[in-house]
Amino acid sequence: MGKKTIVPIGPYHPLLEEPEFFKLYCDGETVVDMVWETGYNHRGIEKICESKTFEQVFYVVERICGICSTSHPFAYANAVESIAGVEIPIRAKYIRTLIGELERVHSHLLWVGLAGHFLGYNTVFMWAWKYREPVLDMFEMITGNRNSYAMFTIGGVRRDIDAEKAKLLYKVLDEVEKKNNLLIGAVMDDPVIHARLKGVGVLTAKDIHDFGAVGPTARASGVDMDIRRDDPYAAYDLVDWKVITAQGGDVFAKAEVRLLELIESIKIIRQCLDYLQKNETGDIKAKVKDIPAGIGIGRAEAPRGEVFHFVKSDGGNSPVRHKIRAPSYTCIPTFRRSCIGGTISDAAISTAAVDPCYCCTERMSQAYDVKTGEKLYNAAELIKLSQSKTEEIKKRLNKR
Amino acid sequence: MKIENFIEEVRKKYPDIKVEEINLKRLMIYISKELLLDITSYLFATLGFRYIIVSGMDSKEGYEIIYHYSDDSSGWVINLNVMLPHDKPEVESITPVVYGAEWIEREIMDLLGIKFLNHPKPERFLMAESWPEGDFPLRRKENKEL
Amino acid sequence: MGFKELCFKKSLWVYHLSAGSCNNCDIEILDCLTPRYDIERFGMKLVGSVRHADVLLVTGIVTKKTLPRVIEVYEQAPKPVVVIAIGACPCTGGIFATGYNFAGPLDKVIPVDLYIPGCPPKPEAMLAGIVKFLNK
Repeated sequence: MGKKTIVPIGPYHPLLEEPEFFKLYCDGETVVDMVWETGYNHRGIEKICESKTFEQVFYVVERICGICSTSHPFAYANAVESIAGVEIPIRAKYIRTLIGELERVHSHLLWVGLAGHFLGYNTVFMWAWKYREPVLDMFEMITGNRNSYAMFTIGGVRRDIDAEKAKLLYKVLDEVEKKNNLLIGAVMDDPVIHARLKGVGVLTAKDIHDFGAVGPTARASGVDMDIRRDDPYAAYDLVDWKVITAQGGDVFAKAEVRLLELIESIKIIRQCLDYLQKNETGDIKAKVKDIPAGIGIGRAEAPRGEVFHFVKSDGGNSPVRHKIRAPSYTCIPTFRRSCIGGTISDAAISTAAVDPCYCCTERMSQAYDVKTGEKLYNAAELIKLSQSKTEEIKKRLNKR
Repeated sequence: MKIENFIEEVRKKYPDIKVEEINLKRLMIYISKELLLDITSYLFATLGFRYIIVSGMDSKEGYEIIYHYSDDSSGWVINLNVMLPHDKPEVESITPVVYGAEWIEREIMDLLGIKFLNHPKPERFLMAESWPEGDFPLRRKENKEL
Repeated sequence: MGFKELCFKKSLWVYHLSAGSCNNCDIEILDCLTPRYDIERFGMKLVGSVRHADVLLVTGIVTKKTLPRVIEVYEQAPKPVVVIAIGACPCTGGIFATGYNFAGPLDKVIPVDLYIPGCPPKPEAMLAGIVKFLNK
């Protein structure tokens, strides 16, 4: 059982080789401990929000994370509107829901691509990201930007989607749906992916409860929770959709939940577009004068799970305190249960499985020998290990 | 458990505490820090509420630590409010009961300077090594020296 | 055309460093690799080690924790290296400039050759910026 030396080969994706995220301690091939280090992306956003007006905070929270960019304004809007006691117009509800679901589609596609890369399926990576582009085009059509949409405001949304735009969006959506279904079929039926992902990185329902994990990470372990259904907001109680859960709690179950959620999201988007086409006009913003003193707690279901915003107002122009919790904050500690005891070659995909939002947290780092403290592999090498394991499985399955 | 039953049970179990509906589907329970571990165990372990996060605030009356839990079956957010005096910001860590609370308690230590007793790993979490000791960014100006 | 210019007119090897970003710009950089923009056909590729890099792409505000790392990476990069600040954050700090963990902007830390503002800048903007710089 000699020491392995892996030559690092340039990774495709740049979110590696970055400040230490966590260190894995290995005894031979098995991961025995994990130590976390963070703070590299700590920008002091909660404090910055205290010096902005309630309206300006939307633009700050959008940039907490580029991938789940809309979920933060969503939760924040829910919080502030609950302090003000305002009900937003129904058209605004549908538009908010549409943006939220489109974001879920783009985020899950992004994850599929990254998971593909970690496994060594670079074709999946390129495919998923190529078919993500029409979704970003839809965003540009509606909001003027591919990321960071600035759609939310207190009391409603800032831009309308007229019937003509809705017709255009339908066409693009059809295209997205066709390609999605192809991708889902290809990924779910592949025997190598089954062999690679099943039984890996397992989290039980008790693990989920202990850490307060949320989102697809929780739903893949059979925990039936979704903020869109449990604490409905926007138009989620007006459209027909279902919560996707899976049993098994392994990486395959997490992938399954995300892929099937893509289909549900497209269903919801269609229903929103139907409403916007049938009802050509309507208010998109309720009048809100001042935010009175009080406490508001707003939640939204981001692609990664529940986003939680706590806002305290004293009747002034700015929040007195704004506490933000991103879903990855409670999902990432679950690595202690999913990685420890597993092999080092599975570490890359187990950590990617909870879809850590890199900017809410950081990137993977290095593996050390627990007995000698010697550094074994860095992040790129861990991914290469993961890709090699897939190659071995491919060869084994082809031999049969 | 239905929310009305819950409010009744909590009032029965802890007769001296204040339970307030601060907003639609949002409940605030004001407790003293002595009751914290007991009621945390009740909510998290016995009733199975989901742990969301812990917020820390520097208010005029003291350091307000709010523990947020979610009852997913009803959609309510149950909040536990503990007020700590400015001159003695210490409270028991809930990490032995709620494993997931380890990180947020370290974060509050860094940003507010609260001491969590019996925390398994009370080390610096967010701030850089170059960040000066005793400088807590979320404290109000008048409490910075405390 | 000097040796240096000749090198820079051909395949650029790019090293990406995030100094505390929200990932919007990082994702747009990755988008440049994907089939729609496909910078690989120009020979540009992302490398895993700064010692192989011709270009250093930096995103994010420089937080106090990443400050020593940014300096270390710059010193390790073989000169000449082109430093590009992508996004509003490394250019000026953007909305995070008033934060307590802000240690930038980037040009206070390392010399910057090219600024591509935007939040995030579109892939077309990034490519246009790089082409403008190369044609100088």
